[in-house]
Order: sequence, then structure tokens, then C-alpha cells
Amino acid sequence: MTDPNNANDDAEPSANEENVGIDVGEHTIEELETELQDVDDPRVLEGLLDAEKDGKRRQGAQEAIQERMDAVSPPAAAVDAEEEPKEAKYRENAEELTLDPSEYEIAELGPALQDVGAPEELEAIREAEQDGEDRDPVLTLLDSRIEKVEAEDEDTGNEEIDLAEMSVADVANAVRGIDDVAELEDLLDQEEAGEDRDPVGKQIRNRIESVEGSDEEVEERLPPEEEHPHLDHPTADKQYVKALENGEYRDTWVYCETQAGELIDVSVEMLGKARELMDSYNETYDEDERVVAVLIGDDVSRHAETCIAYGADVVVYHEDERLERYQHKAYTELFCDMARWGGAPLDGKGPDEADWRDYDEPRYTVFPATNNGRDLSAQVQAELDSGLASDCSGLYIEDTVISNPVKTGQPGAKKDFERVLHMKRPDFSGFEYSTILCLDNPTREFHPQGASVIPGSFPVPEADGDRDGEVIEHDLRIDEEWLRVSVTDYDRIDEGVDLTGKDVIVCMGRGIGDDPTRGMELGLELADAFENADVGVTRGIVTGSYQFDGHVEQYTEEDRQIGETGQIVEPDVYVAAGVSGAIQHKVGMDDSETVIAINTDPDARVRDFTDYFIEGDLFDVLPTLTEAVESGNPDVEAVAADGGARTDGGRETDDSRGIDGERDGTTEDER
Amino acid sequence: MSTRNGQGGGEEYEHYEAVVVGCGPGGAAAAATLARNGVETLVLERGAEAGSKNVSGGVIYAEKSAPYTIDDLFPDFRAEATERPITHNYIHNIAGEKVKTFDLTEIHENDTEWADAVLRRRMDSWLETRVHELTRETGGGVLTGVRASGLLRDDGEIIGVTTDELEPITADLVVGADGVNSELAREAGLMDWEEPDEWFQGVKAVISMPEGAIEDRFDIAEDEGETHLFSGDLYEGVRGGGFLYTNAETLSIGNVFHLDSIVEERAEVSELLDTLLTHPLLAQWIAGDEYEELEYSAKLVPDSKKVAHPSPTEDRLVLVGDAAGQMQAQGPLIKGMNHAVTAGALVGEAFAVARSRGDRSQAGERYVQSLYDEGVMEKIRPALYDRSRSVTEDRRAASFADRLVGSSVGRAGLDAMMRAGIVERLYNSPRMMQVLPDTATPYATLPTAIAKRHGEPIAEENTVSPPSLEERIGELTYDTDIGNPHIVVEDESWEASGAAVTACPVSAKDFGGGCYREEVVKSNGHEERVVSFDSQPCVECGTCAIVADTHWEHPRGGKGVEFEQG
Repeated sequence: MTDPNNANDDAEPSANEENVGIDVGEHTIEELETELQDVDDPRVLEGLLDAEKDGKRRQGAQEAIQERMDAVSPPAAAVDAEEEPKEAKYRENAEELTLDPSEYEIAELGPALQDVGAPEELEAIREAEQDGEDRDPVLTLLDSRIEKVEAEDEDTGNEEIDLAEMSVADVANAVRGIDDVAELEDLLDQEEAGEDRDPVGKQIRNRIESVEGSDEEVEERLPPEEEHPHLDHPTADKQYVKALENGEYRDTWVYCETQAGELIDVSVEMLGKARELMDSYNETYDEDERVVAVLIGDDVSRHAETCIAYGADVVVYHEDERLERYQHKAYTELFCDMARWGGAPLDGKGPDEADWRDYDEPRYTVFPATNNGRDLSAQVQAELDSGLASDCSGLYIEDTVISNPVKTGQPGAKKDFERVLHMKRPDFSGFEYSTILCLDNPTREFHPQGASVIPGSFPVPEADGDRDGEVIEHDLRIDEEWLRVSVTDYDRIDEGVDLTGKDVIVCMGRGIGDDPTRGMELGLELADAFENADVGVTRGIVTGSYQFDGHVEQYTEEDRQIGETGQIVEPDVYVAAGVSGAIQHKVGMDDSETVIAINTDPDARVRDFTDYFIEGDLFDVLPTLTEAVESGNPDVEAVAADGGARTDGGRETDDSRGIDGERDGTTEDER
Repeated sequence: MSTRNGQGGGEEYEHYEAVVVGCGPGGAAAAATLARNGVETLVLERGAEAGSKNVSGGVIYAEKSAPYTIDDLFPDFRAEATERPITHNYIHNIAGEKVKTFDLTEIHENDTEWADAVLRRRMDSWLETRVHELTRETGGGVLTGVRASGLLRDDGEIIGVTTDELEPITADLVVGADGVNSELAREAGLMDWEEPDEWFQGVKAVISMPEGAIEDRFDIAEDEGETHLFSGDLYEGVRGGGFLYTNAETLSIGNVFHLDSIVEERAEVSELLDTLLTHPLLAQWIAGDEYEELEYSAKLVPDSKKVAHPSPTEDRLVLVGDAAGQMQAQGPLIKGMNHAVTAGALVGEAFAVARSRGDRSQAGERYVQSLYDEGVMEKIRPALYDRSRSVTEDRRAASFADRLVGSSVGRAGLDAMMRAGIVERLYNSPRMMQVLPDTATPYATLPTAIAKRHGEPIAEENTVSPPSLEERIGELTYDTDIGNPHIVVEDESWEASGAAVTACPVSAKDFGGGCYREEVVKSNGHEERVVSFDSQPCVECGTCAIVADTHWEHPRGGKGVEFEQG
């Protein structure tokens, strides 16, 4: 209030001086604005405003006065704020009273006060008691509690560190200067009792660790649930691997999937690969670990011999008619029980005694990357508390050196890992390959090392019927709960026709146009004359408007199309009947061993990539050819002569194969 | 990129200020202009790379009178993306083996700043890179392998596009630069594919030349190039003509015919290409022993005199280039790309102005207005043609003109005109060329008469043996969308769709490997003539959309034919 311009002290006299000589009506708005700069008294300004309102009532003038009024007097809100505080503070205290002493008998108050730890709060309660019932014993009780609490605070000797007031960074700085573990632990307790901020707790714990670390090497490792109490821990119950510290792992387990009761190709491919891996493993490490095939389903034991023939040393199977179709839960439970052989992870119980195995869990597991295999592999590997490299296309076992601190336990250190399954998988749509390793951490073991394998990645091995192997039945009661999903209906999608494995393919082209049905019949008859033969068609047939009779129509669909947009085949003998030989067709059959073309047009392009070209109508030539094959006298010259056609060796072009030697007038591969 | 909702858009779609469909010259010009004005612009290109779906004859013009030329928008264009400057122009009138040649340089140079031969794969892919650089700055970019499949509407109003590959996208401006078979234009009701007489069909072969052969045989320097046009009796009455353009190391040789004439004459267009390629006149440039055809391609060309849309906009959609029918046939000269460029830039400008004035919905109207103000419309759809058409294309008048040219009176007149150099002058009159009637007279009758009376016989023998149609198809690269044909023949009867067997550039009578094949179906004792269809060899020209009863779409992004030359 020392501002001389402020009117509060000497406002009275000027208030009576009407308008300090300003007659608003005499001034233009601009003049008024200038004049008003000299007026500091709000009341004077108010008078001027009234005068204007009674007089000319100019909006601009009123605004100018109002503006000046705002300028000289602080806005109403600010004034209020200045006058409010005491009341506000009082209300605040009243509201925040930890407990209201008037609600307690003396006997009750003693224990209740034990929960109040802050001196200020106790002071406030004491004040409230004084203002209220003012009971002497109560005041005494409060005084003694206040004394005690204040003494406690001093005891800790760190009154300068009040964690609640400090940011994480402040705490980090502060604790750096403390070397006393007990003191640090007090701080930790204080934080946990107070705000319990995760990062603050971590700072203090780190400091404790580094102080302790200098004394003793063994650091105690908190379980993840305790180390990170604010995260949820969905795998908290999967402690088996830790229970298995220094567990024993052996063998490669291969899940041999069946579909509709039959062993699928990839199962055999994996057995072949596993055999190869374990043979070299046993040699390298001087071990005798085995390939274990796992069969789960209805009536699957009949595949056991096949599994052994393709490389398994042991077949473990579980069959039950309720397992006819793949079931996520049941199959997972069964596989995991097999892997642990009755071991109960949560009880820390190891595997049941068995003649055929004496280890805790498989060393490696391999699953097919089929729909079911992907599903099973993910769940099994999670249940066994390990990892999974999915959709792999290459596997090998090697030792490796790792410097990742997560795996070595010490930054900068290197660690040897032995017998590591290297799992290669395509990434970025196959533009890159990653090699995935599943390695133990210093405090946690990761076994089995598991992969799922893309079908077709490995060759189908040769079956060896003389191989011996052990067949073990797995026994476990299937919980009805596991079968809560029931398949009420299903449809098997037609997989189409696979022409790729045939010895002989008879391909029909648009030369059948004169009588399409008869043309197809002739092709089928020729194919029937061979042991392992089938009929294909060109795209021209598939997309044509030919009207076929019902019995041959199924042979003219897209699933038998040969060429760039159909199947690519390489049979021993390829008969192209009435095929013109578009380049898109050539792509689909160019690797065939021997190509025989039948065409009425000697200039047909197909002749450029034909070993034997028969100029003639397929309606004449095919029956003769069929007869010759059936009679076991497949002489092409004779066939051509009988069919009223003439033959030659096709044109000599860059891609003609077997021009000499092979061409002796017969198609030597026919049988 | 932003995800804010489009104005009035009902659902939460990704939103851009502008979406440009197609990264040919029209789309590129629009996108570049938009991006330079700070408009967030996304470009969708269905080809695996811009240019892989594009075919043109291939000369791009920069007109003096045009408000924008391609090198205005893309500096270095001529150095980086074109083949050869065109400096000499000729037309050859052919009657049998007699030829009369006129110099067309005058009309060529009329209003021409420069003209360069181009191959579209090289040109458009270069443009794509520039457009991506520019649009990326605005938060957009070019997405290749994405086909805009239709218009996204809200309460009937066009607010964006749908695609085969991505979620729908909303935009304040949708630029349909999706070419001559514009699905966006068709869906908006701005274009139909119904009348063959509104279209030309171009068929082209790109032929490799030995090093230095172009300079030797055409007697030109490395920075010179030629165009040759061919007309007369070599096409058996099919209305149209041939062309030859010199590229850097290749030749573009092809024909452009009126589609209605192809249909009427049941002309096999690939055979007509062979007719030109094997004509003795061409023996001076191409030789049989070294002949190598790099690529066979085809394309529809809108006859803009008839179909250039007078108001190519609807709601937020604007059309540019072929999609709007913006192509100028100046007699034998065809100018399309330059108009697409101008139109694209005008769209960009119109949107930028509309945006700065706070009403983006005005962009379409402003664009159309500027097409008229800048004279583009008058070039592509001259009022004079509309007026003269009723007289010059009247059948009786046309046949009278044909008879006159053939009569002794006509011949005498022609002789007189030839002596006076009038015919050459007429060929070089832009006004005359612009309104040339679509009858046989200018394409065949007159040139034949000229050549017969005044032509020189050709001594050379042409030894070229062009590849068969089967080989031509076989050499093309396809990524067939198996099980997902982009064309469905809705009526397989001969009456409805038989015309495609000959008109389709990759089909022919008695050829089983093409798209359309004639078939006789015998059932219950009676025979029916039908067509069968296979979309695999399709070169996506769009001919069958017009001449057959089909449901025609572009293949999905990245699928179908991939042109290496274009």
C-alpha cells in the first residue's frame, strides 16, 4: 500500500471532487482516453462512467473508462485470493484431520494414534481436541505420541532425506553418498511405506547392491514377481525349469503329425533330418542320444514302424479314439506329460522311473509348421518354459560363443555354449534369413530347444525297413476338461490332383476340339496303360468352352493344368497330344525326360522342344500308341505308321535334349 | 499421413488432402503440382513400378501455347527420361509398292517447343521417383502395386477411393489419372466403354537396333530423331495408319486404327502390324537377319474429338489425361501425354487455389474452367469438328469424296494440287488436320491415289519375318493372378463377344493361345458358335471391354502383364 498512485490512503478527499475536473461530455473518446491516464482513483472513474451513462452513452467512451478502471484496480479475483488464505487454510486442516479425537474414548484413542506417524498430523489433532472437548488425558496422550514420533524421525538420522519430497533423480544423487546398507534399507522401507515408486526403489536397491557387492560376491536374485511387483506375471506358475537347475536333457523329439489318420510328409521329412542331426551329434560329442518320435491320436501306433524305418530310435505314442482329431488342450497336455514323463513341475517332482529314459526333459523338440503343428508347438514350448523358433527351414547343431550379457551374466564376458541347435528361418518375406538360438540364461535354463519346420524344407529320407526301435505306450488319464472343444462337423477340402510324382503324363491340348469328350477318353486310356501315369491338360482346355460329358469333365479342370500358372512336372515320359506349345506351357514340362508330341501341324511350336514328333491326328495316333504300350511293343515308328502319321526326331534347337544315343526309335523309359 | 476423418466421412479412414490414382504423366503432373503447393498427396500406382502398365506410341510434345509442359514440372526430364529429340517428320503414302513421301516437319513444329520419343517404362518410372521425392515431403508418397478399385462414397458423395490392397482412403481431392480404361471415371458415370467409333486401338512393337544403326540408316545425328507415318492401301481398307519412331537404341513401330473399322473389317491387328513390318518401304531401316522384337504391346486411345469429357469432375473426383478422354488426334499426329500433363498441373493449381480460399470443394469447377481458359479443351475437342462432322462423315458425302478422288476429274485436280504443292501444305495445316473426318478418304483413298499417280517404286526387299502371335505373347512378362481373372465374359455368344476374337491384339481366329477363341459347341444335335476366354495373355488394352460383353477391371496391384519397354 505504499504506491502513491494507489488511492486507498487518500481517496476520500478526491472522491468528493467531482470527476477531477473532467466533464466526460466535453471530450471526444480519443481526448478522454488521454485524460483518463491521469486518473487513478477507481471511485472517480466510477463517477465518470455513471456520468457517461447518464449523458451521451457512447460505447467507446464507456469502454475507455472501463479499461482505465481495470488498469488501476486489481481484478476482483486477485483481491479475493489475497483475502482468502486464512480461512482456506483452516478449512483445509479441518478436512485433512487424520482422525477426529471427539469421536474416540481415551482407551480407543491410544491404539488409533499408533497409525498416525506424522508430527504435523498429531499437532492438528491436538489442536482439534483443544478447540473441542479439551480433555486433559487426551492432550497428554497426544503430547507423548508427538514426542515419540519426533524422536523416531531423529533416530533415522536422515531427516535431510525426505523421499516423498524428492524426484527419482534427486534420490539417485542422494543415495550415492550413503555407504551404510542399513541406512539405505531404512530409506527403502520409507519409500515402500510411502509412495512406493518403482524407480526410486530400484535406485536404492541398486545402491545397496553396489555397496554390498564390494563385500560379498553372491547377489541375491529376486524372483521377477518381487522385482517387478507392478507387472503381471502370466508365467509365474512355470517354475519347473528353475526347479530343474542342472537338469538332464537328452534326445531329439519329433512330433509326427497325422492327418485323417495318415502320417503326413513333413513328419517323415523331420525324422530324416533328426536322424542326420543326431548321427553327427553322437559322433561329435561321443554320445548315444536318440531320435524320439511322438505320435498322438486315434490308432496311431500303426505308424510306429514307419517312424522307425525313417529314422526314429524310440516311438512314444498315446492313442485314444477321442483324439481322432487334433485338439489343442489335450494334445498339449499329453505331449508335455510325455516330455516330463510324469514329472510334476510345481511340486519339483522329477520324471517317473522308466527303462527307456533317464533324463528330465528332451534336449531338442521339432514340430511341423502346419496349422496344427504351429498351434501345438507354441503351447508346448511355453508350457515347458522354453522358447520356440517358428517356421524354420534349416537346422544344425554347433557350439557357439556368445557375448550377450543376458546370456553370459557379465557384460564384456564371452561364454561358450555347447550343443546348440541353430534354427534358420526366413524373415522379411524370405529376403533375409535369421538363425535363432535358444540358450540358457545364467539363472534360468531354456530346454527343450524347439523349432517348427516348414513342410518341404528337408528331403524325404530313404526308408530303412531293417532299422530297430523301441515302441513305448504313454499312459495318462485324459481329463474330460481337455476335450471341452468338440468337432461336430467337418469338411475335407479337396486337395486337387498332384501330377508331380508321375512317371508318365499324357497332356491333352486343344487338338481335341473336334470331339472333346472322345479326345479326353483317348488320353485317359493311354495313361491307364502305364503303371504310374496320369492325364494333364493345357490352359487352353481349362479356359475353353468345350462341352465334356460327365465322366471326363473332372479331368479337364484347373487342378490338372500344366504350365506356368498350373503344375510344373518332370515325368520320365511326357506325351503332348494336340498341344501347340505356348511358352507358358513349356515352362511347366520342359524338364521332362522324354517328350513325345502329337500334332497335325508340323510347324507347331511344340516341335521345338520335343524329342519325338508325330505328325498326325491324336484321334488316330493315341489308340495305336495305347495298344502298343499294352502289347509291350512301344515302337514309335510302328505307332506312327499304324496311325497314318509320320514321325521325326523333332527340331534341332538349343533345348532339344538327347538328340543322339537316346533316340533309337523307341521311348526307352516306357514300361 | 494423418488419420483425421474426411469432411463428412462417416467412418474413420486414413485421410489425405489429395489422392492421385495412377502415376503416368497426368498423375505425376498433378501430384508434383499438389506437392509443390504443400498439399499432402498420396499417389496410388497399380503397376509394380510406374510405367510397367503404360504404353504409348511414343512421342511426347511440349507445346508453346501450353501453360505447363513436362519439363516445367520435372527439370531434367528430357535428359533423364526420354529417348531422342524428334527433329524430322515424314508421311508416306503407299499404293502397293509405290510410295510418295511428304515432309510433315511444318505441322510437327507448329506450336511445338520440343518433342521427344519416349518409352514409357523408362519415362514413367523416372517420373515416379521424382513424384515420390516431392510427395514424401508433404507426408504422402507413391505406393506401387496398389489398385484403386472404386470410389468411396458417403451418402452418395464421392469422398475417396477403395483399393484391392489397402483399407479405403478418404481425401479432399481424388485425381483419377488411371488411364484410358479408367475405372474411376466409369464408376462415376463420366465415361462408358460402349461405342467402338469413339476409340482408336494402337498396336506396337519395339525393335532392337544394332549400335549406330539408327544414325546410319536414318542419316541423323545422335541428338536427332525421326517420325514416319504410313497411310494408303496397305491395311486392306482398315481406317488408320502406321508409325515409326526412333528411340535411343530401338524403334517403335506400330499402327493406330479406328476401333469400329477393326470390328467391321474383322481385321487381325497383329497381322496388320506384320504387314507394316514386312513392307518393302521399311527394308531401308530394318533387316531380317538381325530382326529382334523386344516387346509387343497395345493400347486404346480415346478419340477426344468425340469423348473428351466437357466437364471431367464429380464431387471430389477430377479426371485427367486418357481417363478424361484428353487426347488430340491431329490427323496422323497423336498428342495425348502433353495434354495429360497440362491437365494434371491445372488440377494441382486449382486445388491449391481452392484450398487457400477455404473451399476445397471448388477445385473441380476451377479445374474445368481453366481447361477452357487455357485452350486445352479447344485443342482436344474443337468446336469446328463438331460442326463439320455432320457433313464430312455423312456416308454419301464420304463416298462422293472417295469417288471424286478416284475419278479423272479428281485425279486432274489432285495432279494440279500436287504440282502446286498444295497437298503437302494441306497435310501441314493444323486446322485441316484437326478436323479431318473419320472416313476412309483421308486414311486410304486419298493417300493411295497420291501414291499411285505420283509415287516412286521401292526397290528394296524386306526380309523381316516377324514373330508369331504365340511368340509375341510368350515373350511378355506376366504375373498371372491365378484364380482371379480381371475380365469376365458375361455373354459368350458369338453375336455378343465374337468381335473380340479378331479385335483383341493377343487373339486371332484359329489361334488357341490367345484371350478370345472361337469355339463350336455341339450339344444335342445342334451346333453353337461361342467364344471361350482366358485372361492370362491379356495386355490390358481394354479393347474387349468395348467390343465384347464383359465385366472388365484392371488386375489387382502388381498383377497381370508387365511391360519392360512400354
